[in-house]
Amino acid sequence: MIEKGKISAFQLALMMNPTIFATALLLVPAITAKHAEQDLWLSPIWAAISGLLTVYISCKLNKFYPEKSLIQYSEQILGKIAGKILGLIFLLYFLHLNGIIVREYGEFVVGTFLNTTPMNVVMGSMLLVCALAVYGGIEAIGRSSQIIVPVVSLLFLVMTLLLVKDLDPKKLLPVMENGIMPSFMGSIVPSAWFSEFILMAFVLPLLKDSGKAMKWGVLSVLSVMFLLVITNLSTYMLLGKLTIKDTYPVMVAVRYISIADFLEHLEAIVMAIWVSGTFIKISMFYYSTVLGMAQWLSLSDYRPIVLPIGFLILVLGHWAAPNLQSLAHFLGTSGAFYMLTLQLGIPVVLLCIAWIQQKFQQKKDGGQ
Amino acid sequence: MRAITFFTKLNILLQISSLLLPVTLLTGCWDRKELNDMAIITAAGIDKKTESTIELSVIVYIPKNAGVGEEMGGGNGGQGQQVLVRSAEGISIAEAISMLQQEFPRHLFWGHNEVFVIDEELARDEDLRPTIDFIMRHPQTRERSHIFISKQKVKNIFSLNPPLERDLAEVLRNLAGLKIGVDITLKDLAEMLIGESGTAALPYIDILSPPESQDKKQTIADIIGTAVLKNGKMIGSIDASTTRGLLWLRNEIELAVVTVKPDNTEGYVSMQLLRAYSRLIPKIENGKWKITMQAKTEDDLIQNGTTLNTGNPQTIHRLEQDLKADIDNKVKEALKQVQHEMNADIFGFAEAFHRAYPNVWKKYKQNWDDIFPTVEVTLETTAKIRRPGIVTEPGAYPEQEVKTE
Amino acid sequence: MKEPIQKPGTNPSSLSLQDSLSANLQTNEQFFQSVYHNCADVVYRHFSIAGKMKALLIYIEGMSNIEEMDKSVLSPLMQQTPAELENLHAIMEQSITVSSIKENKTFAEVAEQISTGNPVILVDQYSIAISVGLSKWEKRAIEEPLSESVVRGSREGFTETIAVNTSLLRRRIKSPQLKMISMNIGRQTQTKVIVAYMDGLADTTLVEEAKSRLQRIQIDGILESGYIEEFIEDHPYSPFPQILNTERPDVAAANLLEGRIVILVDGTPFVIIVPTSLYSLLQASEDYYQRFMIGTLIRWLRYGFLVMALLLPSGYVAVLTYHQEMVPTTLLLSFAKSRELIPFPALVEALIMEITFEALREAGIRLPKQVGSAVSIVGALVIGQAAVSAGLVSAPMVMVVAITGIASFTIPRYNAAIAIRMLRFPIMLLAGTLGLLGIMLGLIAIIVHLSTVRSFGLPYLSPMGPMRASEMKDVMFRAPWWALRKRPRLTGDYNQNRQPPGQKPDPSKGTE
Repeated sequence: MIEKGKISAFQLALMMNPTIFATALLLVPAITAKHAEQDLWLSPIWAAISGLLTVYISCKLNKFYPEKSLIQYSEQILGKIAGKILGLIFLLYFLHLNGIIVREYGEFVVGTFLNTTPMNVVMGSMLLVCALAVYGGIEAIGRSSQIIVPVVSLLFLVMTLLLVKDLDPKKLLPVMENGIMPSFMGSIVPSAWFSEFILMAFVLPLLKDSGKAMKWGVLSVLSVMFLLVITNLSTYMLLGKLTIKDTYPVMVAVRYISIADFLEHLEAIVMAIWVSGTFIKISMFYYSTVLGMAQWLSLSDYRPIVLPIGFLILVLGHWAAPNLQSLAHFLGTSGAFYMLTLQLGIPVVLLCIAWIQQKFQQKKDGGQ
Repeated sequence: MRAITFFTKLNILLQISSLLLPVTLLTGCWDRKELNDMAIITAAGIDKKTESTIELSVIVYIPKNAGVGEEMGGGNGGQGQQVLVRSAEGISIAEAISMLQQEFPRHLFWGHNEVFVIDEELARDEDLRPTIDFIMRHPQTRERSHIFISKQKVKNIFSLNPPLERDLAEVLRNLAGLKIGVDITLKDLAEMLIGESGTAALPYIDILSPPESQDKKQTIADIIGTAVLKNGKMIGSIDASTTRGLLWLRNEIELAVVTVKPDNTEGYVSMQLLRAYSRLIPKIENGKWKITMQAKTEDDLIQNGTTLNTGNPQTIHRLEQDLKADIDNKVKEALKQVQHEMNADIFGFAEAFHRAYPNVWKKYKQNWDDIFPTVEVTLETTAKIRRPGIVTEPGAYPEQEVKTE
Repeated sequence: MKEPIQKPGTNPSSLSLQDSLSANLQTNEQFFQSVYHNCADVVYRHFSIAGKMKALLIYIEGMSNIEEMDKSVLSPLMQQTPAELENLHAIMEQSITVSSIKENKTFAEVAEQISTGNPVILVDQYSIAISVGLSKWEKRAIEEPLSESVVRGSREGFTETIAVNTSLLRRRIKSPQLKMISMNIGRQTQTKVIVAYMDGLADTTLVEEAKSRLQRIQIDGILESGYIEEFIEDHPYSPFPQILNTERPDVAAANLLEGRIVILVDGTPFVIIVPTSLYSLLQASEDYYQRFMIGTLIRWLRYGFLVMALLLPSGYVAVLTYHQEMVPTTLLLSFAKSRELIPFPALVEALIMEITFEALREAGIRLPKQVGSAVSIVGALVIGQAAVSAGLVSAPMVMVVAITGIASFTIPRYNAAIAIRMLRFPIMLLAGTLGLLGIMLGLIAIIVHLSTVRSFGLPYLSPMGPMRASEMKDVMFRAPWWALRKRPRLTGDYNQNRQPPGQKPDPSKGTE
């Protein structure tokens, strides 16, 4: 094994939570509200289905090929050459996606906090910290997320509580004005994000207690869904239709907090949630890419390729889009299908083939 | 073993480089803004200057004159003003800001600007939506800024020198916070303008005339009513008393003392609002659009200027009726002026119908301007007087003059 | 005087320390003379046992109990009746009235005994030397530990003498399960180091690991346990201490009972304890002596101030130079007021003040007590009053620095506080370049680093990362003693139960 560290299923759940939630927190309300308007809080619930599906698939595949990652068993399922090609496609995809995530992070920071700081410095400094975590291995990422996630969740809840007095539940009415479709449409992009749970396929072989993987995976999906529903609800109850017009509605919502003229402008909270959540997210993708690449190239250690791949991610982040609008447009349109295909579609096909192979094998064994 | 030493070596390298990175960047510090290099704007206002240009005025805080701790000591409050007012002209607010920046050796800082005042003339003549767009788009401005429409030129209002507060920005912010009139933040305004009816209500301010003897400038601006906007333009205003009716309809009433004159007795009775709550219940019956406003209020008696014995439950009941009538009158007045004369739905009727009858609404959405003046409003007000204070009978009247009824 | 019988190979100059003693007294003496060449404090006393056998007493002045030696060794030997002179064993058994006595066969053994302070008797015709356990030197009395004072709790502290220290531990833990393994480290100093652990509570592999790490050390001298710490820690480049040190016997005993290993070093009152985690560095012994509620609150206070000690100056810099809109308006205006005439950027101002404060603190520690207080008065005046009124430093910055200073004093372990003090500066620089983002990145980097650190196999952030919910009650809270039923899990197999359950006090448990 290239990675010697082991983590628990609970740690995995804690790592996966911000992996989805961090980016979704800022962008989901605006994207879902565009289609679903006041029903936006339903969208994460539909979207979670794809998350559950992904968890199921990665757990099932892991059961067929324990101790193997996505890159390794796709070779086993499809044969040497096709498997290698698919592995490369996955790795390139994760590199590209990670570049996009890093860019999203950079766009947010530069757009709201540090307007004149060069984007590459913002993205590079984050990647450097992530590289440190990737060097530390899966255990380091797991433990850091055990420190970070509880704090971040607490901050998120505090933020929501502080907003309560400005919320107007009437804005959510009428429920399902145009039927279920708008909320369904609004769930396409979030469900693409939920399918990022496919990262579990890289980490599952490293579990100490893989028996609990399914349970904690499902709980992780549900916790993300719950947090997103709360986010969407509170944002829309505060901002109403303005949710659609803001780039980062949650950011605006938090800026709106004012308690006793003293607790106001708490952007720092959003910043803390976003930066630490994105850190875990980028580290997870980064780690999976590096580990997958090492497996693909049959290296004995993944550490020598950490920095080169980090540099590639930075470059891809730089090239991801010319500006925020085209990035958002990509994420809101073709990006969702791109992500769903690779993160949900191909794994489903892999699982089917693996299942058929297994059946075939059994029959052959039974026939003998 | 070799792998471990390799790992630690790289780890150290990474750690050192992450420590060194900021040092090398110290020369940059792209976004660093020292407090000493900033002009902190506390309020901004826009006037109509000529047919095509506007004038932007800002109140800027002068830290130098505010006195540094103990060195100032007491007794030199008159030493220089704490704030500075400057104006600049431009075709748009963005241009005016860049002109204004030329008048300051420091960076204009909008992050603490919590008050925007718009001159009535501008509000009546021009669509405010481009201005709102600019304010919303600017990353520094606050969504919680309060917006006002002023009867006078903003420049004149800003030049006032409030005797009690630090500057006019603080005066206006605190006034808005007291909820005497409508309290509209930037976010609320934007939300109202994109809402179903495209109307908005904003607090309407004017200069409070100072006592005769004093300096003309030693005064503040106060809220004299509500300005009503439709499609981004101001179409009219209502006075303070009618505003109370509006607040009742919008369920925003908070601080109020109601004074009523009971029948067959001399003098007035004043009551303090403790709790007030109202809601709109829309109904469409046989093509007739109806709204019922249910309002509930609980009050305390705070002054009895009559000879009525407030210890008597019947008297209290009569006073409750008077209170109810007073509220109804104010609401009706507001409805008369705003619903019938201005045809501007600032009460939220459109949203109420939308919520209750989403399908009907879709059909009639376009005709709302025609429907709105015909909406029948029924009032169901209940007023309760909970406590008559800590005296029962009128405090300062002899026993025989008190009406026992 | 007879000529000494020169046997081949017994020429003193050709002898080495590893050789066995010669039967010739003169050869032996000459050898020791050459070993302790230019050692004025080594005393050679010639005498004869019962007037017949020539003998030599060697000891180092000031390290042995001379009165006792005269009374129990020299006088019985010199007054011996000739009949009993047959063999040396008989003399030892009958005449020397000292409890500890030892036969030595090589020069090295003898030299070690002399160096430890035990007088050695060499007798002519015998190739053994008798060392008498009469070493004695001036030692400090047991005093209150200065670096870890408490309101409630034992006032005893370890001393420089290892025998006293082991006795302090033994007095607290009377069980024979308390094992102490002794070894000498340091080529020149031959410092005695004792590894103490509870048999059955401490993981045996952990004990073996500690022993082997200690045995690997090759150095000429150990003068303080800090030397050993640097040799045996897991991550030498981490700013965080991975080994706990204490001068309180009660802390050492408590850690022994949790299954940790205590390493005592001769010559220092500081013993070191492995393995340790970040949280045990943030706990004071008194947390467990006061009632549990205040223990819990104090812990939370400490965690809060730990964050402040690390982040307050950088937070101030970041907010003031990057995120001015986050400060409430009135507060920002008063900041603006106080900063208006300050010539430095906020970052430089903060660095100047923090560095001055660190210098002041260092000066206060090094200087004699009387001068130390003068320094702090001058420092406080310079920083607090003069700098502000001269317009060099703003008043809020002085407050920030002062609060940071106080905050770093709330961390009970000095070495943990040092780590925080050091990390404050890079984070300040990060805050000065990237604002709050820089602080967040710095903080995350620290968390990641802490996640990779282990102390003797124990993850540094345990029990929080990896999380062990049952142990959180001794980290997030200080659970009452009757609820602290299980020992913390360190490494390997362990003896879980500290005490039987169900000991919560309850009126219904009374016998009356």
